[in-house]
Amino acid sequence: MKVPWPLYLAWKQLFPSQKKVSFFSLLAVVGVALGVNVMIVVIAFMQGFQNKFRNDIIDAQGHGRVISWKPSPNWREQRTKIEEHVSIEAVTPYLHGQLLLQNGDYHSIPFSMGIEPTVDNRVLQVNTFLQGGAKKMNSHDAEDVTPIPTIESLEDEVVFVSSQVASRLGVRPPTVIRFYDSNKSNHSSSGQIIVSRLDPFVESGEWEVFFKNAQEFVIRSMNSEEQFMGSISDGPIDLGLGMPVFEAVPGSRPFQKGDHFKFHVFRGSTIEVFAPSMIEKANADEMMPPREVRIGGIFEVAWQGFHTEALISTMRFMQDMRGQEGRIDGFYLKALQSVARSEADLAQCCMDLEEFLGEGWGVVPWFVENAWFFDLLKFEEYLMILIMVPIGLVAAFAIAIALMTSVLRKIREIGLLVAMGGSRVSVGAVFCLQGFIIGLLGAILGCGFALLFIRFRDELMTFIVKKIAGEEGQAGVSQFYDFYSLDIYYPWESASSLSTFISFAFFAVLVSTLAGLLPAWRATRLKPADALRSE
Amino acid sequence: MNKQDQIILKAKGLAKSFPFENKRVHVLENIDLQLLAGKSLSIRGDSGCGKTTLLNLLARIETGDRGEINWGDYKMNASAACTSTDGRKRALFLGVVYQAYYLIPELDVLENVLMAAKLAGAYGRETRERARHLLCEMGVDNKEKQIPTKLSGGERQRVAIARAMINQPELILADEPTGNLDETTGGEVMDLLLKSCEQENTGLILVTHNPSFAQSTDDSLFLKQGKLQTD
Repeated sequence: MKVPWPLYLAWKQLFPSQKKVSFFSLLAVVGVALGVNVMIVVIAFMQGFQNKFRNDIIDAQGHGRVISWKPSPNWREQRTKIEEHVSIEAVTPYLHGQLLLQNGDYHSIPFSMGIEPTVDNRVLQVNTFLQGGAKKMNSHDAEDVTPIPTIESLEDEVVFVSSQVASRLGVRPPTVIRFYDSNKSNHSSSGQIIVSRLDPFVESGEWEVFFKNAQEFVIRSMNSEEQFMGSISDGPIDLGLGMPVFEAVPGSRPFQKGDHFKFHVFRGSTIEVFAPSMIEKANADEMMPPREVRIGGIFEVAWQGFHTEALISTMRFMQDMRGQEGRIDGFYLKALQSVARSEADLAQCCMDLEEFLGEGWGVVPWFVENAWFFDLLKFEEYLMILIMVPIGLVAAFAIAIALMTSVLRKIREIGLLVAMGGSRVSVGAVFCLQGFIIGLLGAILGCGFALLFIRFRDELMTFIVKKIAGEEGQAGVSQFYDFYSLDIYYPWESASSLSTFISFAFFAVLVSTLAGLLPAWRATRLKPADALRSE
Repeated sequence: MNKQDQIILKAKGLAKSFPFENKRVHVLENIDLQLLAGKSLSIRGDSGCGKTTLLNLLARIETGDRGEINWGDYKMNASAACTSTDGRKRALFLGVVYQAYYLIPELDVLENVLMAAKLAGAYGRETRERARHLLCEMGVDNKEKQIPTKLSGGERQRVAIARAMINQPELILADEPTGNLDETTGGEVMDLLLKSCEQENTGLILVTHNPSFAQSTDDSLFLKQGKLQTD
């Protein structure tokens, strides 16, 4: 292949014949590679955090919020209009407010949100929040087998509270404990009795399940002495409101006559709820008793900007508490994925919707409502770049100095090359191309390191965290710095990741090439005769 | 005209001076020189008399104060800066051999020879074969994969001669090619250089201090006080 001689000589000077690798070349390439790797990885993590926060916010607030500026009795019509809009996938009304909760001597005043349980999980990921808030209370002789509640449990007399509120008030949802039995029927190979649902109105008491034969079993309430017959083929056995739903799931070892399971069910806590409207009524000498509600579930919202003390109830409950029947504050929206993917498209969709709904309604996309937070993240990202660019420049200075030394060492060779017919520009290009090659190889290697880092980030993080905090500290550290759930994309998976890789690789090549310019200029300035005479 | 009678190098009125303590020291004055194809010419002179400067002027890697230089039919003003066209012409017309060899340490022997070909724009299998042939002629064909630092002085100079010959130049400028070698090795290298020039019908201008080497060339001149005299 006809390789231009300056490129050939530049390559050979970096990677001489008969030598596997030159020390200078190795140091220079690895130096650039580490710089590129660090820059890509830091920005990839920043983008990962941004993606995580983005998803958490959308889970907690939807893609946008329609705000009613004044009481709107005809909100159902507006809702139908929004649902018919081509860009909208789902919509749910909401009411916000502040309530006072009391459990004995303990109080909390959480941010409260009334939603419509029938459709809400399509817009706000309430079931995910309930999974996040579930806590197990296992002990040496019992296992907490409480099924995680779902949004279907939400009723007018049932509320979900955030884990912070639950801790403050000392409340819990209904809980079911399975005792370990003497015949070890909880063995992993054994069949299991699963409590597949526990409604908020369940009463405390003990339950027993024992098998008459391999197929049939008896469910017995120890409180009421009621008995129910069941069979494996029945699937979940719903005993009615206020009772657990049992299901026998066979394991690899079949059930046997005499298999015996024992459960203890604890009813959910009840709390008293006061509303500001009650104070107004009290001022007018009207006494209103507090509302008594049950705790149906405890939730945890991943989006840390969400209120830590919060309550989710039905919309009707909130309307009652606010004394504003039929009133809503607005709607949460979920846009079609094709629209939500681009912030510009979503902003346009919100503007269209605002125009479509007419006066008295405002539509705010999620990234406008949380702009402060993303500005902060962007600021952090730019700050990181600002810190890291000088690191890249330091690497460039090191390359420039090394190449400059090389020019001084090769003065006679430079003279010889001109004497043999090389132009001064071509001789200068040899040194500039060395900078380019170092930058290019460093960029490729750096991108490779970054891909490896992204691929094995969990293993690497676990290793580092374990070394610092030990086995026990790992959970705490990873909960605080949630590296494990970050969506960090490979360049072939996301345009922004691809642009990060390309930008930093290009930056490395550019800076290294520029670093070669000064030595190259010095080489072109040398007079060949003087160069040949030099000692 | 017979190729043997062709003038491959002609210099007329070459002059060169250097500034020294607010004066100009005239190193070369009105030098006239010509060389026929395939002929050899030696130039002797005391150290510092300007022999290397004369070679540099002839090779156009240094500019003179005045004068004209012809590489075959290619005419140049010695006082004008060397152009890129001159550079390209030089790569094909001239081969250079220096006292200090100036082999590129990062390239092996064969690559060093081929480097001169690359500078002249010659690539390919034929060039590689010619490089091997020249190394064989120089008796260093078994060293083609060695790097220069592993070679003896004599071997390095043989490689440098092969490099100078690779483009089949019309003229070789050799600046004290045996200066760093002992008498026996120097003699061997000199014989090789003269033999190669004769075989390839290449002109040779040899700068040397050694009278016996000077006698082995077709013509011999002596540089004294900036002027060339018959030796």
